[in-house]
Amino acid sequence: MVRFDRRLLLNFDWVLIGAVLVVALVGLANIYSSTHLYTNVGTPLYIKELTYYLFGAAVALLIVSIDYRVLLTLNYPLYIGMILLLLFALLFGRTIAGAQRWINLGFFRLQPSEPAKLILVITLASYYYRKETGKGFTLLDLAVPALLTGLPFLLIAKQPDLGTALLLGFVFASMTLFVKLRWTTLATLLCGGLSLIPIAWKFFLKPYQRQRVATFLNPENDPLGTGYHIIQSKIAVGSGLIFGKGYLKGTQGQLDFLPERHTDFAFSVWAEEWGFFGSVLLIICYFFMILWGLNIAISARDKFGVLLAFGVVSLIFWQAFINLAMVMGLLPVVGVPLPLFSYGGSSLLTNLAGLGLLMNIRMRRYMGTS
Amino acid sequence: MPPRPLAKINKIDPVELKMLKKRIDIAMALIIFSAALLLTRLWYLQIYRGDEYAKLSEINRIRIQEIAAPRGNILDRTGQPIITNRPRFNVVWNREDAPNPDEVIKDLAKILNEDISVLLDRIRAATENPRYMPTRLKEDIDWETLVAIENKHLSLPGVRIEVMPSRDYLYGDFASHFVGYLGEISPAELEEKRYATYQSGDQVGKQGVEKIFEKYLKGEKGRNYLEVDVHGFEQRQMQLQDPYPGNDLHLTLDVELQRVAEEAMADKAGAVVVMEVNTGNLLVMCSTPPLHLQEFVGGISGTAWNRLLNDPLNPLLNKTIQGQYPPGSTFKIVTALAAISEGVITPDATFFCGGALNYGNRRYGCWKKGGHGTVDFHRALVESCDVYFYSVGMRLGVDNIAKYANSLGLGKKTGIELEHEKGGIIPSTTWKQQRYKEKWQEGETLSVAIGQGYVLTTPLQLCRMTAAVVNGGTLYRPQMVHRITAPDGKVLKTFSPISDGKILGSAHSLGLIRNALVDVVNSPGGTAKVVRLPDVLIGGKTGTAQVVNLSQVGGMSEKSIPYKYRDHAWFTSFAPAEKPEIAVTVLVEHGQHGGSAAGPVAKAVFKKYFELKNGIKTATEGTLPPVAPEEKEE
Repeated sequence: MVRFDRRLLLNFDWVLIGAVLVVALVGLANIYSSTHLYTNVGTPLYIKELTYYLFGAAVALLIVSIDYRVLLTLNYPLYIGMILLLLFALLFGRTIAGAQRWINLGFFRLQPSEPAKLILVITLASYYYRKETGKGFTLLDLAVPALLTGLPFLLIAKQPDLGTALLLGFVFASMTLFVKLRWTTLATLLCGGLSLIPIAWKFFLKPYQRQRVATFLNPENDPLGTGYHIIQSKIAVGSGLIFGKGYLKGTQGQLDFLPERHTDFAFSVWAEEWGFFGSVLLIICYFFMILWGLNIAISARDKFGVLLAFGVVSLIFWQAFINLAMVMGLLPVVGVPLPLFSYGGSSLLTNLAGLGLLMNIRMRRYMGTS
Repeated sequence: MPPRPLAKINKIDPVELKMLKKRIDIAMALIIFSAALLLTRLWYLQIYRGDEYAKLSEINRIRIQEIAAPRGNILDRTGQPIITNRPRFNVVWNREDAPNPDEVIKDLAKILNEDISVLLDRIRAATENPRYMPTRLKEDIDWETLVAIENKHLSLPGVRIEVMPSRDYLYGDFASHFVGYLGEISPAELEEKRYATYQSGDQVGKQGVEKIFEKYLKGEKGRNYLEVDVHGFEQRQMQLQDPYPGNDLHLTLDVELQRVAEEAMADKAGAVVVMEVNTGNLLVMCSTPPLHLQEFVGGISGTAWNRLLNDPLNPLLNKTIQGQYPPGSTFKIVTALAAISEGVITPDATFFCGGALNYGNRRYGCWKKGGHGTVDFHRALVESCDVYFYSVGMRLGVDNIAKYANSLGLGKKTGIELEHEKGGIIPSTTWKQQRYKEKWQEGETLSVAIGQGYVLTTPLQLCRMTAAVVNGGTLYRPQMVHRITAPDGKVLKTFSPISDGKILGSAHSLGLIRNALVDVVNSPGGTAKVVRLPDVLIGGKTGTAQVVNLSQVGGMSEKSIPYKYRDHAWFTSFAPAEKPEIAVTVLVEHGQHGGSAAGPVAKAVFKKYFELKNGIKTATEGTLPPVAPEEKEE
């Protein structure tokens, strides 16, 4: 299983690596810009992020060296481990900003909801690969994957981290639509889902979550409260104009007007300092990476590879899209980081691991079926 | 352990691959569409509405800090500065900078020699202010304290020294009621329209001239444009706009004259007003005991304020315009003017004073118990015969007296620009009807004729009246300011004399009164011989205002009467007699005798005035023949 084929090296996906490197370097520079004024918090955050990058690269390299098909046997142990971690975080986790999301490992504070995203992708890919679709999934066929998604969804939503929970939902929906669904199933789901929205609003959402949505619809109603993030972020992005205010010169970010500016709102700092020009380049870089990932999916040697690659791509796409739309005021503030760009070890490791899987699939596209 | 075999790989069925490819294409299209959506949004924010957001980000980070302007100086009529500015050092506290506030406050309390609870109260009172706004812990610390704090700077994080311009009183409590004092603007004042541009914490004139001329004195605040972070903490200075000092106020007061008056009144409670008779300009506005202006710098303490409130000498009252006293015999000027002008008597008509007049079933006594004998108009004024004026008053009736009193500016405010002026009372039949719903009793007219009963006047009113009587009959409005000049010396505003009209009474009658008043000071029988100066002819009228009815203190010797029951002493006067220039009115509360208590104060003022005017010292009193101890007017 661990025999390393030298042909693999030839198939190294330099395009993918190049794109990731660009985003990584730009992201590190951006984290430096948004945090260098904090001199009194020990190790500078950009150094920490660099460490995570190096660690993540090692993890990705390890993943690349092992054939992804091993996941077909590991998927349930991984899934069970993930559920246990989420339960542990919920029961004993550290509370930050009112949410129990963290497990303290001493050297690293793990946010289990981050790897949970990738493990769900692996679980669903394995399930859909094994399940014979035939004429397409019926509603009953969807019960198992829905349960597999629903469990971590509830555990994460309970933390509460609605953004990540919804992300699981989006990934589940994308992957399920990608494998064949019956039209009747789709129609039933659509109707059921739409009718569930008001019920969820009333019984499932916490007051602060309801307020976030209300604020999103009209941020100027509460400019110093929950609308503050959206307004300040829009000011940061908008005031960047064509070429930006210059590196380290963004007033919104440097002067602390922008909250969460090295994590969820990292892109706002970038847009303020580099303007329309820099922002377009970064967005193009992301979407190139995503489209390249779809290309990897369709060229995979087997259906598991296709499903797995598609799942990873949908995970990266939804994070990027939700985050960008959020900081530009198109979506409510839900706390989803921009992959590879926002500061945060758990998220970075997860995404690098996901990219490692993509690379893994890419490199083995010509490998024979044994 | 042998490696676990990998799951078997099934090549993808070509039909299914085709379907998957189709779905990947759909996904690609959706992804490109969402990329286009994001890019459009980016264009909308950064290009289409970019300028708008750029402006918002500008306002976001610039805070404008105001710098207090040095207040305009206050000078006397000769240009001598009376009140200027000096830097004042305040201790301020910025809670954000301090990691261990309790310790710091404890240390600071020790240095400031202040109870820790006082400092904590101030901090607590400021909890609603924005976090970046420093709290003032102590105002106007002295040099030693400043040095002590600066030396311990490192061990006192969060403690800073703030420098503010502050009033410097070059002559101490000079004319304290008149110039007034400053204080922090109150929430109630902030609501007023005239203070629309002020902010909490600003200094503002609270009393006197400082308040009246606030808009000229305050100057233009400077602005410090600071770049701040979201918590409001200063990052750096972007632009500084210096404050522009306030305008200078040139008062009509004369420093030397005012000081002489204040010194002469040092051990007395009362008032001195000096007015130029031909302009209405006030040279002296003295009310004692004075306010200690230094106590008001940076806000007066509660204990000091209570002490002032409960002081029996009433230091908070500006007695020149707010003290209302019966004018006593000085009011005989009014009765005399009315009597001659109305023709109820001729100057030569005589009355007999046997020491009292019986009217109704009451006996109205003359201050001279033995009686004046036969008195005519001139002698009645000079010797202040009460019986003469009882008789004249009865002939006039109260309404005639009131008519002349009103025309002399009594019974109503003088119109001086100071706040809270009192108008006094001039009774009349209609006044009594309105006030007490009662009919006027004829006997009451007798009291009014000699300035007792209901009659109340302020020192300023009497001074203005005296000026009008001796200047040919023009009633001038009291003026306090000559001109206002900008810091560059440009004259912004000048104040010229304002006439409030002519008084009633013929020039002939005014001449008669003037002559009589000169003899009050200069004839052997006059009641104010003590005021006489060797080379200047002074005229004046003494007055004694009863505080309580005689029966309450009857038979007591003067020294044994409790202070608060002693009579008020008046002296109102003018000089030089030939061509009067100034009128001087003195009131000594509970001073008992106009001539002996109030007279010397007026004399000191006259002496100084003519010394200053002639540039030489007038002859000292030693050259005058000693004045025989005079009879004391009651």
